[in-house]
Amino acid sequence: MVNYILRRVLLMVPTLVGITFVVFMLIAASPGGIGAGLLVSAGGAMQSQNAIAIQKAKLEDRYGLNEPVIVQYGRWLRRILPIKFGTRDLVSPSGELVSRPRPVPEPAVWRWFATELKQAEPLSEEEVARRFTNPGSEAGTRAFQAAVGEYVTARAAYIASEALVRDSLKRYIEAWGKPELLTRKQEPRVSAISRVEPDRTLKEYAELERLGRDALAARELAAQKREALIAGMSTKPYPQAGIGIIPGVLSLAPPDLGIAFSRGRPVIDLLAEALPVTLLINFIAFPIIYMIAIPGGMLAATRKGTWVDLAQGLTVIALYSVPVVLAGVIAQGFLVNPDYLDAFPAAGLIGKGSEQMAFMPGANGACAWERGWLLDRVWHLVLPVLCLVYGGFAILSKQTRAAMLENFNADYVRTAKAKGVSNRDVIFRHVFRNSLLPLITMFVTIFPAMLAGSVVVERVFSIPGMGSLLIEAINLRDRELILANTTMVAVVNLLALLLADILYATADPRITFK
Amino acid sequence: MQNRFGLKDFVLFVLVGVLALSIWMRMFQQDREWRKSESVLSKLSSLESQVARLENKLDTGVVVAGGSGPSSTSGPAPTDGKPAANGGSGGDSSWARPGVKIEWQPPWGPATDPFKQPGVQVGGEFTEVYEAQMARLTPFIASDVYARRLHEFVFSTLAVYDPVTLKMRGQLAEAWQVDPNGLWLRARLRPGLRFSDGKPLTAEDIRWTFHEFMMNEEIEAERSRSIYRDCIAKVTPIDDRTVDFEFKERLFTNVDNALGLFVLPKHIYSQFSPADINRGTGLMVGSGPFRLRDVDPNRQWAPPADVVLERNEQYWGPKPPLATIRFKSIQDETARLNAFKRGDADMITPASTQFVTLSGDPEWKDRARFLNWVNMRSGYSFIAWNCGERAGKLTPFHDKRVRLAMTYMLDREKMIRDIWSGVGQVAKGNQPLGSPGSNQSIQPWPYDLAKSRQLLKEAGWEDRNGDGLIEDARGNAFEWEFSFASGGEIALKIANFVKDSAAVVGIRVKLRPADWSVYQDFMKLRDFDSITLGWGASSPESDPRQIFHSDAIKNQGDNFAQWKNEEADRLIDEGRREMDAAKRGQIWQRLEAVLHEDQPYTFIRVPPWLRLVNPEVKNVNPYPKGLEHPEFFRGGSQSPKPAN
Repeated sequence: MVNYILRRVLLMVPTLVGITFVVFMLIAASPGGIGAGLLVSAGGAMQSQNAIAIQKAKLEDRYGLNEPVIVQYGRWLRRILPIKFGTRDLVSPSGELVSRPRPVPEPAVWRWFATELKQAEPLSEEEVARRFTNPGSEAGTRAFQAAVGEYVTARAAYIASEALVRDSLKRYIEAWGKPELLTRKQEPRVSAISRVEPDRTLKEYAELERLGRDALAARELAAQKREALIAGMSTKPYPQAGIGIIPGVLSLAPPDLGIAFSRGRPVIDLLAEALPVTLLINFIAFPIIYMIAIPGGMLAATRKGTWVDLAQGLTVIALYSVPVVLAGVIAQGFLVNPDYLDAFPAAGLIGKGSEQMAFMPGANGACAWERGWLLDRVWHLVLPVLCLVYGGFAILSKQTRAAMLENFNADYVRTAKAKGVSNRDVIFRHVFRNSLLPLITMFVTIFPAMLAGSVVVERVFSIPGMGSLLIEAINLRDRELILANTTMVAVVNLLALLLADILYATADPRITFK
Repeated sequence: MQNRFGLKDFVLFVLVGVLALSIWMRMFQQDREWRKSESVLSKLSSLESQVARLENKLDTGVVVAGGSGPSSTSGPAPTDGKPAANGGSGGDSSWARPGVKIEWQPPWGPATDPFKQPGVQVGGEFTEVYEAQMARLTPFIASDVYARRLHEFVFSTLAVYDPVTLKMRGQLAEAWQVDPNGLWLRARLRPGLRFSDGKPLTAEDIRWTFHEFMMNEEIEAERSRSIYRDCIAKVTPIDDRTVDFEFKERLFTNVDNALGLFVLPKHIYSQFSPADINRGTGLMVGSGPFRLRDVDPNRQWAPPADVVLERNEQYWGPKPPLATIRFKSIQDETARLNAFKRGDADMITPASTQFVTLSGDPEWKDRARFLNWVNMRSGYSFIAWNCGERAGKLTPFHDKRVRLAMTYMLDREKMIRDIWSGVGQVAKGNQPLGSPGSNQSIQPWPYDLAKSRQLLKEAGWEDRNGDGLIEDARGNAFEWEFSFASGGEIALKIANFVKDSAAVVGIRVKLRPADWSVYQDFMKLRDFDSITLGWGASSPESDPRQIFHSDAIKNQGDNFAQWKNEEADRLIDEGRREMDAAKRGQIWQRLEAVLHEDQPYTFIRVPPWLRLVNPEVKNVNPYPKGLEHPEFFRGGSQSPKPAN
């Protein structure tokens, strides 16, 4: 058994890598970049394209978007895997991971203005000792933070000036009259351009050269600051993340889900906000589905062929065929609308003024009845839960009915009846127990779907759950958020499948792991 | 079969579960009580400091009427400009740079004083519903429009646009001087300004906000930074109440940008590291008439919750009547209307159809106030014609006559009737209606098919083979692609309307819906024949350079229509450097006339703001600037509360 589970868990790793790889490639291949996400979240407000270009360049630099897709994927995988290789990241007091800064990229066409790129010198030991004294103390932390700040500023300045070089290069190429050096997206093909000799007589060249030299100087500064930061990191000013296994080679750390582009907030925070909402609704909805669908199916099975069976079947199938969108609109239009029933709140999960209410229902200060916080919460949950529940009866109750009918015809039931076992005992002890098997597996496969949330229900009742989070992430091409979401659902799915197999074996002794 | 799971076990399990649940609920309830008492305590400490300040003032003696601040000893010395009517140092101009006109500002107060209205009551809550969820509230970092609207109530700026006249009116500033060459601005703060925690607001806070918060590369305020980076070079505090702004170049937007900078309290924000600020969702402490209710940095406001602002009891200006303002988000439009009907919301933005149906319903006469007005944030929607090359080939729209024919072809009034239920008016140009730049002599081109056909014929497009479609001399049929962002119902309706209208004059239109991020690429690469879009605005006057100047064709600028007009370029360059608002208005009027003649855009509609307002909420005035929440008060059926 342990052997089997271990094998399955190990098999999960390549499966997960495969899933995330496909999703990552899909996102990378989809048209439109992250710039759109930035503009959308600005509410369509006007701002200069130049500013967006600089902002985009910075984001690209921070997330390494200017590198080949496969490298980006590797980088993402490194962050997400709990097993880390190489030196451990540091954890800053605010909980952010500080990893070794990436090399500063080369500026475009630098060969036109310089013969070689100046390499930054590592800091001498005396210099390190002078700058980063007492790592871990407050002064040490401050010195390190200053180094981080200087590096970020220098790198940002370099990225900005590099973006200007590319802009100028584009103008230069247009003036030069060599459109073949531009890509379909009107970006200069830097590597191809570097191989040709420039026409230094053009008047656009002067500006390009000036900007190019600026960028070279900015790069040198950034590289220098990077060396200082690396030297600072080596003194370990912050505690290290995770647990070390082999120092400097292997360590374990919790996965880092990154920061969502579109909202500029850590993905983990966004998930932590959305997940409880979705789970709350689903954890209420699913017991209700089971408690109604299973007895309903049993009833239909025991009264097979009678009007009870027919009515039960008809009802669940009819409910199943009502689309959630329609049900939501009907609920809003009749159950909520004060012109009709006026029975339920319109949106959200918390009522106006419910923070001021007492916990339990009762009389308030003005001697009027008040529903209280708890009841208010339940009242707000009724319609969303209803919309999630009604369509779920059909499959489960039909499944129950079919499984029970199959067992009714089995030999052991006939034997039990022949022995004189009461009808009730036959149904509950023998038939029902044996019919539970498919229901267990079904629950386990339904559970991961709960995490994904229901887009329609969340939209109609303004519930900020997982469904709306994922849809928004996809619309804005928010890579980190989409990946975190799919990874989470994939992991839970794989675990649930494993759980299903284990439960199957536990419930049915005939199944073994051999 | 010995240890079978029986009914007894089941009951036991359920009991344990219920017990665990009730313990958890009890703890939850404890938490609620805790939070409640904490908020009471913070309110109490705020009151205490207020009382202390009052006592202090009483001890030092009160000056009755006229009001004279710390500089009263120097005596009134009105030199130039008119002295302020009150507000302390009326006329003292020792702070000013000599020889430059001082623009004295009237005392700060609401445009329509709620305390002069009949039936004014203090207290009560006002709930407004937004269509989208705000992601975060931290100033300069929050990027959505809703959060920015809310900032106006929580933060103060040196000056704000007057709701009625749309001219800059001093809020924190009692006076300022603008360099006639447009290279600097010096502002004088009013006396007695303070943040919502009672600490004084000084010129140093302004410098800190600009240089160490907004321009700090580590803070993710790139959006604001990109606007201010090109405009303000340096902010220098001269003394506690005087601050100097240095500009990079002579540009008319500089003054508004400098005066419109939110002032953050240095003593609060400097406690946080940039990482804390980037990560935070609700770090919002300012000096406006309202303050965020949950200011504890360890338990910040975070998205699904409503944003609740409460009256800032430490406010330095006239305090607002409302006790709290609550902002909810409801995405579904039916749900929004239901929330309004149920009384869960006092103000919603209805869909056009809802607005038209309900405002015609006599039953609704007393249930809501219907507001429908155009204001400075309205903007306009348009169809842009690609006047340049697409993939190396000129589009048919490079010809001005064809563009004009397109405008004649579209019955925009019918469009507004069909698509927006008749809400809104036909746009005539890029300038906000009623602004100094808006050219009154321009009327939108009428709907005239004959004229359209004639113009097309002049441009060489007519039906040469009798198939009902028009062709050029070489027999190529007039056919173009209409690109629009998919997902929105409105854009699809516009596209279909254009397609049908074009068919009437014999043009075939292919619809090309695209996802928003792909649509962005169309614009950047000029890979379209025509697209539809809307421009929004956040101020009464905006710089037309990035949309209409031919320089903005390069570098993927916002002149995606690739419209090149020397006259327009000249006017834009001239207007941007004109510091006098009236003269600038003249220039923008001429620019609008050029746009009207040349039609790089077919202007479709100016969308008005629509609001349904609970009639219990009084003093809701639709201003040219928008809405002024600090003026609202609840009257009517509410039980009166003691005024304080």
